[in-house]
Amino acid sequence: MIQLEQVTKTYPKASRPSLDDVSVSIDKGDFVFFIGPSGSGKSTIIKLLLHEITPNSGKVYVNERDVTTMRSWKIPTFRRSIGCVFQDFRLLPNRTAYENVAFALEVIGKSKGVARRVVPEVLELVGLGGKEHRYPHELSGGEQQRVAVARAFVNRPLILLADEPTGNLDPDTSIEIMRLLDRINRTGTTVVMVTHDSNIVNQMRRRVVEIESGRIVRDQPRGVYG
Amino acid sequence: MRAKYVLSEVVTGLWRNVTMTIAMMITMAVSLTMLGASMLVYKQVDRMQSFFYGKVEVSIFLKTDVTEAQRTSLQSDLKGDPLVQNVIYESRDTAWQRFKTQFKDAPDLVNATKPDSLPESFRVKLKNPEKFQAIYNKYNNRDGISEIVDQRKLLAKIFGIFNSMQNVALIVSIIQGVAALLLVANMIQIAAYSKRREVAVMKLVGASNWFIQAPFVLEAVFAGLVGAVLAFAALFVAKTFFLEGALKSLQTVFPPIPTGDVLLMLPILAGIGAAVNAIAGWITLRFYVRV
Ligand SMILES: Nc1ncnc2c1ncn2[C@@H]1O[C@H](COP(=O)(O)OP(=O)(O)OP(=O)(O)O)[C@@H](O)[C@H]1O
Ligand SMILES: [Mg+2]
Repeated sequence: MIQLEQVTKTYPKASRPSLDDVSVSIDKGDFVFFIGPSGSGKSTIIKLLLHEITPNSGKVYVNERDVTTMRSWKIPTFRRSIGCVFQDFRLLPNRTAYENVAFALEVIGKSKGVARRVVPEVLELVGLGGKEHRYPHELSGGEQQRVAVARAFVNRPLILLADEPTGNLDPDTSIEIMRLLDRINRTGTTVVMVTHDSNIVNQMRRRVVEIESGRIVRDQPRGVYG
Repeated sequence: MRAKYVLSEVVTGLWRNVTMTIAMMITMAVSLTMLGASMLVYKQVDRMQSFFYGKVEVSIFLKTDVTEAQRTSLQSDLKGDPLVQNVIYESRDTAWQRFKTQFKDAPDLVNATKPDSLPESFRVKLKNPEKFQAIYNKYNNRDGISEIVDQRKLLAKIFGIFNSMQNVALIVSIIQGVAALLLVANMIQIAAYSKRREVAVMKLVGASNWFIQAPFVLEAVFAGLVGAVLAFAALFVAKTFFLEGALKSLQTVFPPIPTGDVLLMLPILAGIGAAVNAIAGWITLRFYVRV
């Protein structure tokens, strides 16, 4: 499903590589935590998987496709099979919860009818039933992140990438978001989550990949934060 | 659905930066008016040139003391000349008659001129009007000839004025065009900045590039089209109220511009305005804003 083969990435102007000969393979339906100190290269992996950046060497496969050689006009369609959640939610402030989720459908050409059918469903799934018409500033951080998860999931992507989705949330809210991601994972979606939250990692007991200075130092099937 | 979305984005985009949009449209209008005017002058001068040059002749004026023999030998040489299409002899008397009718509105001038002060001449029409120099070289040293005059030279002066008018219009349109292009780039940068969150989300969820870029490009195209319509209106008003109104007396030298020519400017200017803005917009998005 996801495969990095000897990937090295050095940003322009950077003195040392942010990822150094990284190989990792993630199967369909897996749930993987990427952990490691700040600046170790976790977000860089997410960006590679989204084809926001390209590696200097090595191969990146996502959904059986070689991302490194993908033509730029194919990227949009490719991204429709990936959902993405970030620490800062990235919601549109002038749109309601419903509209934020529907926006993701509209801009890839889905009809309003489709949106009317699936958006309430997915908002219900993330536990926001009844709050569809609230604007982001009328929602708590946890609720905003639920909207973001709903938006990432509304297209039923094969993969959900989450870069510190609980980074701005208190421990209880974090656990709730975590349960939500777990539920999404149970629908068969591969989940890749970058986190600093030892609590969550220790509770979930899922596969843990630890990175340090751009190198994988640990890859454990039912790991803890360590 | 997609078209509706794109259109509503265009409308909100134009409205959000309404002062910018207006500045854009005005600049575009001025630029296209100048371009249109220059094209009209160009066509007009072309038309006038082929009209007048078809009529112009070379005048060979004879000295007052020209002998009969000189005149007849010159006439037969001209008739047999391969460069010459036809030759008309104009005696002093006919020259005088022609002068009188030409200046019948200026009796003082006619009265002040003695009938025999006008020289006799040959009016020579060349097969190729450009070949004046060859004729001149051939006949200039002949006895009995006082002067050989190319009427084209006189016309060339008039057309020179038209040409420089056209050049001025063209230069102004280019300068304004550059200003318009910079405004397009600026307008798109502002639009892209004010929509950066939406653009980021669209990229994230996999909206196609054209879908992201179309509203921006269409805003620029719309501004270009409005500019073209304004420019067309300006040209039309200039033609009806200026050339055929206040400056009507000029029409003896400057024949009226056909309405068809002016009407043709609408699609031409609209096409140019839309295409130029679309390309400028797209380049801005592609290489500068990187939407
Ligand atoms: N655009 C960039 N240009 C240059 N260097 C970059 C760029 N983005 C990241 N880096 C560098 O690459 C390294 C890895 O960055 P990355 O964002 O992947 O870290 P991270 O593991 O996500 O850290 P954090 O936990 O703080 O988010 C860092 O040293 C960072 O300074
Ligand atoms: Mg990071």
